[in-house]
Amino acid sequence: MTTMFNYRAPVLRAELLSLLADHGADARVLAGGTDLLGDLRSGFVQPSLVVNLKNVKGYSDISWRRDDGLVIGAAVTINDVLQDARVRDSYPLLVACAQDLASHQIRNRATVIGNVVNASPCADMAPALLCLRASAVLSSHTGERKVPFSEFFTGVKRTVMRADEILEEIIVPTETAAARGCYHKLKRIKGHDLGIVGVAAMNKEGTLRLGISSCAPTPLLVEGLSARDPVEAVVAAVHEAISPISDVRCSREYREHMVAVFVRRAMQEVA
Amino acid sequence: MMITVTVNGLAYERDVEEHWTLLRFLRDSVGLTGTKEGCGAGECGACTVFLNGKTINSCLALAVEADGGSVQTIEGEAVDGQLSSIQAAFARNHAVQCGFCTGGMVLSVRDLLQRNPRPSVAEIKEGIEGNFCRCTGYEQIVEAVLDASGQLDDASKGALRYV
Repeated sequence: MTTMFNYRAPVLRAELLSLLADHGADARVLAGGTDLLGDLRSGFVQPSLVVNLKNVKGYSDISWRRDDGLVIGAAVTINDVLQDARVRDSYPLLVACAQDLASHQIRNRATVIGNVVNASPCADMAPALLCLRASAVLSSHTGERKVPFSEFFTGVKRTVMRADEILEEIIVPTETAAARGCYHKLKRIKGHDLGIVGVAAMNKEGTLRLGISSCAPTPLLVEGLSARDPVEAVVAAVHEAISPISDVRCSREYREHMVAVFVRRAMQEVA
Repeated sequence: MMITVTVNGLAYERDVEEHWTLLRFLRDSVGLTGTKEGCGAGECGACTVFLNGKTINSCLALAVEADGGSVQTIEGEAVDGQLSSIQAAFARNHAVQCGFCTGGMVLSVRDLLQRNPRPSVAEIKEGIEGNFCRCTGYEQIVEAVLDASGQLDDASKGALRYV
């Protein structure tokens, strides 16, 4: 790793936010580091300051708020989510997506929030959060705003976040608790791998929502569907929404084919 | 930046560069070279260590993040020159060929057996999915884990069915 940078690990939220206000795009936030360390090593990012947020009080907490639902803090790891009994009971779709993300070592470090902030088209947590009507709480020194994930992603590795903001909390509303859900992810190998096509499905009392990864510049939500819709009509709606490319991992045509296969399987599973 | 990290029970106070990985600290500053750099990208698991009780890829952590923490490496696995039960099972079942993956593999197996003392073959494969071995084809490693978890009868221990 050739890039030199300064390092801070604030304990106070106010200090974290003021560091980001002062340094803006020259600063990079370090949560799990499983994406950032690779980007630092390759020189893809060359920040003057790396700010570790894991020591901020409360950021590692999974909590439940009566008016909001499940609240996932900025430093909560994928394995934290998988090991939380109440999350497992309430949001099986969140668990299905988390389980398919990378390897055990990575899941011990990678955070839910880092996965969506980095905004890869193949982010595994995004399809679940889109289906579950989750929102991102973005905080800066000037205040907070709440953005639903359906409006969060703007392009490949791009989001609505400003350089002085952090994604401080993910809120998963109680209205989607206990919904049936499943996630199908196409990989080159059975072990840990990036997704080639991903389809998450959620059925809450007949309302069907699909979250699609690796088939467009951003993770996609396909909504306005019913679990009783004809399967081929749902497949057509998904094909209308996606815009897959051919790349090193597979062709556009293969993605179009496999997304339909997964939609058909997922609809049966959550029926 | 000065950091203090406990490695295999010994406290090390060292001056490290902010951009150093935990892997580089262990190898170049502490001098423990059992932790290997394979891919440097979190794919291969050769750099697996325990940080504060959890397995991580030490190529994907900064040394400064470990300040105040506790690390266990493969050098901490044998005690007083005696192989651990996992190491002994790896040796007995020929689960080592070139040895580059073995340190990380053994630590992932230790972590797996702490969570799940009698894993099935499928659970073993899932438990070591973050550790690549390019020599053995994994069969002997799976045998070694079955052996280490007491799931092989005496005749099957070290029977080398896949060698």
